[in-house]
Amino acid sequence: MRPPLRYLVPALALLAGTLAACAELATEPPADGEILDAPFAELSAGELRVFLTGDAEFSRRFAPSTGLGPVFNNASCFSCHSADGRGRSENSLIRFGTADNGFLAHLGGPQIQDRAIAGAIAETVPDGVPLSRRLPPPVFGMGLIEAIPEASILANADPDDANGDGVSGRPNWVSLHEYVPGAARTALGRFGRKAQTATLLEQVVEAYHQDMGITSDFRLTENLNPRAPVSDDLAPDPEIPAATVHAVVHYTRALAPPAPGADTPTRRTGAALFTSVGCAACHTPSFTTGPASLGALAGRKVEAYSDFLLHDMGEELADQRPDGQASGREWRTPPLWGLRLMRRFLDGDAFLMHDGRARSVEAAILLHGGEGQRARAAFTALNPASRRALLDFVESR
Amino acid sequence: MKRPLLIACVTLAFARDAGAQQADTTDRPFVRGGVYDKPFQHRLAGRAVFGGYAEAHWRHERTDGVLAEGGFEAKRFNLFANARVSDFVRFAAELEFEEGGREVKLEFAAMDVRLHPALSLRGGMILSPLGRFNLAHDSPLNEFTDRPLVSTEIIGVALSEPGIGAFGRLRTGGASRLTWEFYATNGFSDSVVTGSEAGTRIPAGRGNVEDNNASPAFVGRVAWSPRLGTEFGLSAHRGQWNTHASEGVAFDARRSLTIAVVDLEAEWRGVVLQGEAATAVVELPDGLHGIYAARQAGAYVEVVREFWRGRVRTMPQSSFAAKARFDAIDRDRRVRGDAVAQVTAGLTFRPTRDSALKFDLVRGRDRDQFNNPTERAAVLVSLTTYF
Repeated sequence: MRPPLRYLVPALALLAGTLAACAELATEPPADGEILDAPFAELSAGELRVFLTGDAEFSRRFAPSTGLGPVFNNASCFSCHSADGRGRSENSLIRFGTADNGFLAHLGGPQIQDRAIAGAIAETVPDGVPLSRRLPPPVFGMGLIEAIPEASILANADPDDANGDGVSGRPNWVSLHEYVPGAARTALGRFGRKAQTATLLEQVVEAYHQDMGITSDFRLTENLNPRAPVSDDLAPDPEIPAATVHAVVHYTRALAPPAPGADTPTRRTGAALFTSVGCAACHTPSFTTGPASLGALAGRKVEAYSDFLLHDMGEELADQRPDGQASGREWRTPPLWGLRLMRRFLDGDAFLMHDGRARSVEAAILLHGGEGQRARAAFTALNPASRRALLDFVESR
Repeated sequence: MKRPLLIACVTLAFARDAGAQQADTTDRPFVRGGVYDKPFQHRLAGRAVFGGYAEAHWRHERTDGVLAEGGFEAKRFNLFANARVSDFVRFAAELEFEEGGREVKLEFAAMDVRLHPALSLRGGMILSPLGRFNLAHDSPLNEFTDRPLVSTEIIGVALSEPGIGAFGRLRTGGASRLTWEFYATNGFSDSVVTGSEAGTRIPAGRGNVEDNNASPAFVGRVAWSPRLGTEFGLSAHRGQWNTHASEGVAFDARRSLTIAVVDLEAEWRGVVLQGEAATAVVELPDGLHGIYAARQAGAYVEVVREFWRGRVRTMPQSSFAAKARFDAIDRDRRVRGDAVAQVTAGLTFRPTRDSALKFDLVRGRDRDQFNNPTERAAVLVSLTTYF
């Protein structure tokens, strides 16, 4: 029995469509180094298993019934860090405090939780206090930053500008929370916009507690709005166990930074200019890690383009809100890695500097004041082609 | 207040259909594939008849080149029962065993009292008339393995609720007719927002079998059908979703959920077109704005063309169907992302009208709240039959 011709044409068209669709079905994984949430390739099977647990927890969105709040900023880690990269300006947090390093806990400090579950009252910004808007930073590469020997970072410190280059660089020695194991109670701050956090454990525990209102075995009591009637959420405390915190710590530790872009003649020119105009005085091109809690992170080159020290960035960028030993004018040099993929994971946008006010790398450079003033002036003095080469290099990191 | 309602009911009852005071001579079911339009229902004893359908899947789904889901599923095993208790009273029920029995749900169990073709009363566990697909979603009836995204993600098919109300049909001249359904139900629960870790998820608020706020929701649908196979429907739900008080103490405002749905079914030269579009508005507590979605929307449109009917010599009732469907949902209209769009194409082979072997290829793109895309693809094979 032969099917009539009028059926054959649509059948063939359908077959062709099906074959084309089959070819499409092989959705391709992104190439190595092209995403922000990939683990280091050298992790062991056991480490990868914990990584996946941490990945799921990082993406987990809390609901009021599972512990969200009573006051909070967002419902998951992933909701602020786009694909594990930086966030958008609308995801920014507001920190506040006094000029003499007071965190104003009685007013809701150190951070405004601007959202609340039903029955609770969100915090509001108090009048007359310095506010500091903070853009969520990228999450990848934190294990490498953690594994840089303290001495290597301190070797670049020049608090009194002894070499006279106009760039000082100070470490932020911070007090450790009581739940951090070990005898030492102060440590070198490495994480956060003002290097106000020394360990990944604190970074994760405090983000759960402050940003999402999630209690853990490390932070057993809820973060409440001190200016509102007592209110609690719907879940018993602690809302997550220590194992969850450790899995997320492991996850952030094991996230590899994306690969830099291809090396081109223009970028080589840009790299030379990056050093000659003075950017590299703070944006230290590389470190080498020491011993690390993950074997895969030991002895690796860290091309973060940061010295992880504090620098006075001038009045325009000052938030007048000290944090530990960081003054209201000082900021930690932000790493530049991942800038190549920034727009891809921010829907084509760019948000740079501590509060996302710069919408391009060039705009960010032009905001540099204080210790960055000299490099900024040298950049503006470059001819257009050289400027383009330097920007191309930075945007390829 | 009661008098206008009474007048409306009487007017409705004695509208055009009632003019002749004749039995409804049409063979058309109230909803094609709906509660009382199931094949293979057998009378075992007494006045009750039984039937059902079963559905099994094989799925292979990939996300950005990585296997996301693969394997076999005993997706559904549903049992129907209905009984004509008297000339005016009927009772129907559907019990669903989903995912190999992991979920057991009384999907429908309602008594109908037929006063007139234009007016019947219904009470019990009803299927909410929110879009046509919710009223007729049996797998053997549909050409695709998966239900439309707007149905599963926005409306929450199968959406059944305890409720009471009425329905009826009016002849509007020639072969055309107007059907209506209107019920008061428990509505959705707090889980629309507070119970979901995925953000605002209306389907998570289903199953509100003990009303969480003692405030009824209202759901209704009006559908006009000029002829068999063509229908245009409008439906809506509105009700309070949140628990606002406990022991007489109000601790929150009453917050509503509104869903509006437009559905369409048409046939032209053998091509069957179906589609549905829905929009939902959730009133949120102030503190959750910007984190949970207050507005969601979605739509699907599908075309099916049957061919080679009876061409398989050993199966004279067999047929093939080529099919394509486009799905789109926006889980949060406030942001550019948090959306899904996908195309499904494939073939269905029906050895008989009431059994189907389906082969579907799915290609889609998810976007997270930052508008980062994730490419999705799937091969779906399923078998389903009424019995």
